[in-house]
Amino acid sequence: MTPVHFSFSSAFTLGLMGLAFHRTHLLSALLCLEGMMLSLYIALSLWCLQLEATMFSAAPMLLLAFSACEASAGLALLVATARTHGTDHLQNLNLLQC
Amino acid sequence: MFYVEILSMLLLVLGLVAVASNPAPYYAALGLVLAAAAGCCVLVGHGGSFLSLVLFMIYLGGMLVVFAYSAALAAEPYPESWFDLSVFSYVVVYILGLMVVGLCFFEGWYDGFWVVDELKEFSLLRGDFGGVALMYSLGGWVLVVCGWVLLLTLFVVLELTRGLARGALRAV
Repeated sequence: MTPVHFSFSSAFTLGLMGLAFHRTHLLSALLCLEGMMLSLYIALSLWCLQLEATMFSAAPMLLLAFSACEASAGLALLVATARTHGTDHLQNLNLLQC
Repeated sequence: MFYVEILSMLLLVLGLVAVASNPAPYYAALGLVLAAAAGCCVLVGHGGSFLSLVLFMIYLGGMLVVFAYSAALAAEPYPESWFDLSVFSYVVVYILGLMVVGLCFFEGWYDGFWVVDELKEFSLLRGDFGGVALMYSLGGWVLVVCGWVLLLTLFVVLELTRGLARGALRAV
């Protein structure tokens, strides 16, 4: 295991742990998802750079486009939540009432 | 160059620690900016200058601006920074866990850096430049699918944020 493998895999694991354990704000969860997407982008880029598989280097671009889709849908949900509930604390979404 | 690489990898992991330790969203966005900039440095050090440029411009310039803008929706009078006790304990726990896992992998640790050879046989293009350009010729259908997904996401966002009375999410 090289240091760069350790760094991006631990970055992915940290983002996953932050997403799983901390749920105060919806925006914090979305930021953890973005961190995971960042580490995945770095991982795919390093794969095609290290193996010199240059045809594979279109894959990080597509991953970035799909993660932009995911981020925009998440932020739209954040805006909708802020409209209906007044705040983005996930504790409010836990209740069955509005 | 080696030490700069190690430093940028360390900053990448520390940026994710700063995101994952649950501070206020302002500070978490700042940590993600740090992680993205360090990731650019890592990719440059491994020879992917175009991928690093795309990461810097699209990710850091496009998406994180939107995140910093929507941090205004999560405004708090007293945002928690990393030096509050509840956040700082998570920072300490995450860093200690990283050190333990790093020591577990320390035996099989070898410091190899593969770099795409820049001047191999008088090549005209860097590897990642040409590879990304192949997306437009060989990867045509994937590009069509990608554009379709982006268009669909536009309608999803419009439907979600339409209003309170109509749309997918409405106040009861």
